[in-house]
Amino acid sequence: MATEQLNGTTQNGKAGTEDYLRIVDVRKEFDGFVAVEDTDLSIRKGEIFALLGGSGCGKSTLLRCLGGFETPTSGKIYLDGQLMNGLPPYERPINMMFQSYALFPHMTVEQNIAFGLKQDGLSKDAIRKRVEEMLALVQLVKLAKRKPHQLSGGQQQRVALARSLAKGPKLLLLDEPMGALDKKLRSQMQLELVNIIETSGVTCVMVTHDQEEAMTMATRIALMDSGRIRQVGTPDEIYESPTSRFAAEFIGSVNMFQGKVDEDMADYVTIVSPSLEAAIYVGHGISGFEGQEVSFGVRPEKVHISKEEPPQKYNKARGKIEDIAYFGSHSVFHVRLPSGFKFMANFANQQRWASEGMTWGDEVWVSWGDNEGVVLTS
Amino acid sequence: MNAKLIGKMFPHPRWAVISVPYLWLLVFFAIPFLIVLKISFSRLAIAMPPYTPIMEYVDNAVSLKLNLTNYIGLFTDSQYVQAYLSSIKIAAISTLLALLIGYPMAYVIAKLPPSARNIAMMLVILPSWTSFLIRVYAWIGILKPNGLLNDVLLKLHLISEPLQISNTPTAAYIGIVYCYLPFMVLPLYTNLVKHDHRLLEAAYDLGAKPWKAFLTITLPLSRAGIIAGCMLVMIPAVGEFVIPELLGGPDTLMIGRVLWNEFFNNRDWPTASAVAIVMLLLLMIPILIFNRVQQSEIEGRLT
Repeated sequence: MATEQLNGTTQNGKAGTEDYLRIVDVRKEFDGFVAVEDTDLSIRKGEIFALLGGSGCGKSTLLRCLGGFETPTSGKIYLDGQLMNGLPPYERPINMMFQSYALFPHMTVEQNIAFGLKQDGLSKDAIRKRVEEMLALVQLVKLAKRKPHQLSGGQQQRVALARSLAKGPKLLLLDEPMGALDKKLRSQMQLELVNIIETSGVTCVMVTHDQEEAMTMATRIALMDSGRIRQVGTPDEIYESPTSRFAAEFIGSVNMFQGKVDEDMADYVTIVSPSLEAAIYVGHGISGFEGQEVSFGVRPEKVHISKEEPPQKYNKARGKIEDIAYFGSHSVFHVRLPSGFKFMANFANQQRWASEGMTWGDEVWVSWGDNEGVVLTS
Repeated sequence: MNAKLIGKMFPHPRWAVISVPYLWLLVFFAIPFLIVLKISFSRLAIAMPPYTPIMEYVDNAVSLKLNLTNYIGLFTDSQYVQAYLSSIKIAAISTLLALLIGYPMAYVIAKLPPSARNIAMMLVILPSWTSFLIRVYAWIGILKPNGLLNDVLLKLHLISEPLQISNTPTAAYIGIVYCYLPFMVLPLYTNLVKHDHRLLEAAYDLGAKPWKAFLTITLPLSRAGIIAGCMLVMIPAVGEFVIPELLGGPDTLMIGRVLWNEFFNNRDWPTASAVAIVMLLLLMIPILIFNRVQQSEIEGRLT
């Protein structure tokens, strides 16, 4: 629905920064199974772009098509105006950081980084200089003579990154870059990786199934599901205005209601849902009609939870606290509404022991603002 | 009686397990080796058995006489030295040929889909299920002047008169390479099938053409398999007797045949034993190298 439409004006001309990498109608089938449906994407120069989706959504296949390891069944891929179709991996100005890195086990860190440069037939001096630069960039100068198995996971990752950046590729591909790291190291390496990539100024496409990783690292995200791109946008666009139930439910958590449009006005809409006693009031118009079946989603952190009944007429519900998940920074209350709907509401623990006031079985009210939810028609 | 005491009376059960291979080595390797070693230090005698004892008890004294003439003879008589050199040469060339044929075979099999791999490996191993001797005889049938090979080549008009292959060193090479090929393919396959395909993809990605990627990634990573395969072919090939005897003709000089001649034709057990001991020592060198490489391979993987 909201996937960005390409304007095919610069079909053969030199690509601008707006569409440095263009994926045009790319489709990939394996023995009748469609891994990637006709996909259009355009990626700007210098961007870190994430393909996000669950396993089997086609994100890795699409990445492998970019790297040249898979041949698209149809469609074209242009990088900096140059057609990539038909070029084998070793002739593409694209380098990839493989999942779990695929470092050459019989070579030292130095030799791993120098491998790509040697293939280009550079002089020994030039190779040595470039390797030193890369080692400095990823801060591994002291470990240059080590073999991969003598390095920690985080160090191996940096070697892999240095190796894929050494040739100064036009496009860097990252396949599940954090997949082999434990959780604590992950959040640290995410920012470090972004810093290194931004320093080198390379355009980057990454594949991940981890929404946090995509949101932390990427400037834009393409959300993929069963071979199709469902939404493209910046992390906050995708989070705050998802265009489909799939997008809303895939990223973060959401309270999702089924309902019918009751009043459809130019500047507001009301929705009646069997899950809620009070009507839903949306403070802006939508492109719909009265009686239309819609979904309404509101995220737990947009919801206010209190013991007193809020004064407003709409956007509220009463229920009993059934579960409390304490996360330290915030608590998530699971409130069971009379309709049986389980409503999630976050409570920020801004004061110490602040959430102690409410406990299991308490009658509470949940409420939200007129513009805090999204109406979804698909 | 308490349990501890019973435990002390009987050795720990783990000895029962460990002792089996050691007993095996003692009975079937160490003792025969010591007997051969003993005979190699004795003198030829017309007796039964045909050698003199090396230990004697005369005048209340035990005397041990280590007679070195057999060994000295080996190194002064050029026939033995030549036989050793020729054996090593034939074994080395055969090993190289087996590697050149076996590596592509193992490589292709390792690239097959898993179900086809097992069938292909089966086909490599299956001939070994028939008798070794029958397979060597079959080669006589193929290579002899009016054999299968010459028939086919003559019918195709590729040659005008039969090739003389049987009873030449060429036939011995063919026989050795054929018989030991599975021992080359097996360790290479075991090694190659474990290779991570993504390493090759990474090499392509970094600009290496397939041939270059093979030379820089696959080949060095299969070093252990190459060494294992070469050892498994080279070591038995050096002492090979049946193949040069049946296929090689009089020109194929190998130490196994010299040994056979000394033992059965000349009934010179001491010289035959000395020949065997020196051959063993010669083979120890590659075996030790093999062990060292394997050791470092294992250590490299553990750290």
